Amino acid sequence: MSLRLPLPLTTAIVSFALTQPALAHEQAGVAGGLVSGLLHPVTGIDHLIAMVAVGIWGAQLGAPAIWILPITFPLVMAIGGVLGVLHVPLPMPEVMIAVSAVILGVAVAARLRLPFAAAALVVAVFAIFHGHAHGAELPRAANALAYGVGFVTATGLLHLCGIAIGTLTRWPAGERLIQGLGAGIAAIGCYFLAQGVGAFA
Amino acid sequence: MKLNSTRLVIATAMLLAGGNAAEAHIVAARLGDFYMGVVHPLTDLQDVVLWTATGVLAGTLGAAKGRWLIALFPLGLLVGLLLGQVFGAASTQLADAAMMLAIGLLLAAAAQVPTVLLCAMAFAVAVIRGAANGADLAPETDRLLFAAGLTCVGYAAITLTMALTAVFKRTNSDSATSWRAIAVRALGGWIAAIGLMMASLALAP
Repeated sequence: MSLRLPLPLTTAIVSFALTQPALAHEQAGVAGGLVSGLLHPVTGIDHLIAMVAVGIWGAQLGAPAIWILPITFPLVMAIGGVLGVLHVPLPMPEVMIAVSAVILGVAVAARLRLPFAAAALVVAVFAIFHGHAHGAELPRAANALAYGVGFVTATGLLHLCGIAIGTLTRWPAGERLIQGLGAGIAAIGCYFLAQGVGAFA
Repeated sequence: MKLNSTRLVIATAMLLAGGNAAEAHIVAARLGDFYMGVVHPLTDLQDVVLWTATGVLAGTLGAAKGRWLIALFPLGLLVGLLLGQVFGAASTQLADAAMMLAIGLLLAAAAQVPTVLLCAMAFAVAVIRGAANGADLAPETDRLLFAAGLTCVGYAAITLTMALTAVFKRTNSDSATSWRAIAVRALGGWIAAIGLMMASLALAP
């Protein structure tokens, strides 16, 4: 059966098919808040590499870090976000974020094995600075809940991405690859650190 | 055969051309307000997050504790709807955030919540969300049909979420460090973080 449609008829069908969808709720700012929250943690390279490095380091450290970090990390980062939203000042936030990338990158590259409490403390301090930066820069018009959902989901997924990469440590070649990745993260962190202290000015 | 095809295409085009506009809330139809009550909470992010959190918490605690919510949660929605009608609309943003934070922390800590506390929290969530759902009603909305729809979807959503969580977590057989238990606890951590962010944004100057 041959089905040849005249052009005007095809145009008419396509036009009807592409009618706009009906929206049950027109919550202004929900979509914007969700997109802002999702994009915020992934649009800054310094934030992104640090989040992924936390996941990789957690995977290298093994239990209990590998399962405690995904549970607590977004929560600690949200505490930093609260400080940022409420405009509570932290010392040298941009420098500390760059330092976090350097230290976490070095920890991954050197397979640094700290006691769990010490590793958790290091990550928690950095998480508060990262969360503070996100909270301080969030768009005021965004829907609060939608922004929170997007922000936490993106952070958690970046962290899980790091853990997934960290599972390569099971193989010797993967371990070397990850150590190289850690060195790369530390190098990028050094660049942002130099920028933060005004070395390029 | 070619003629049949042409007729088919013309008929399709006529049907498409004569189609009515889609309406998400079929308020004009008979029993439309019932469906409005069903759909309204499912299109609101606050309801989705809080109902899911409550159902997951009850599901992780097991059927013996969670089964009370099958009756309590829809009843709480009904009470909230009535209270909302009596006392008028008020912003529930901070209360929503506080409940998200509390339920999320309990989930993240894998706390063994007593049945009474679980029931009290679920009832509080239902009352808050019932009042919030009733706040947007237009004067011409049939309150009875809306309440019936809201109660039915509350019953279905909480029962389904609890059952799915109980099956996923396999409460009796899994240890606290199995990947299923960790996934549920991580979800709790995320919900608590969302609640914390929402509270701060609600309180922000």
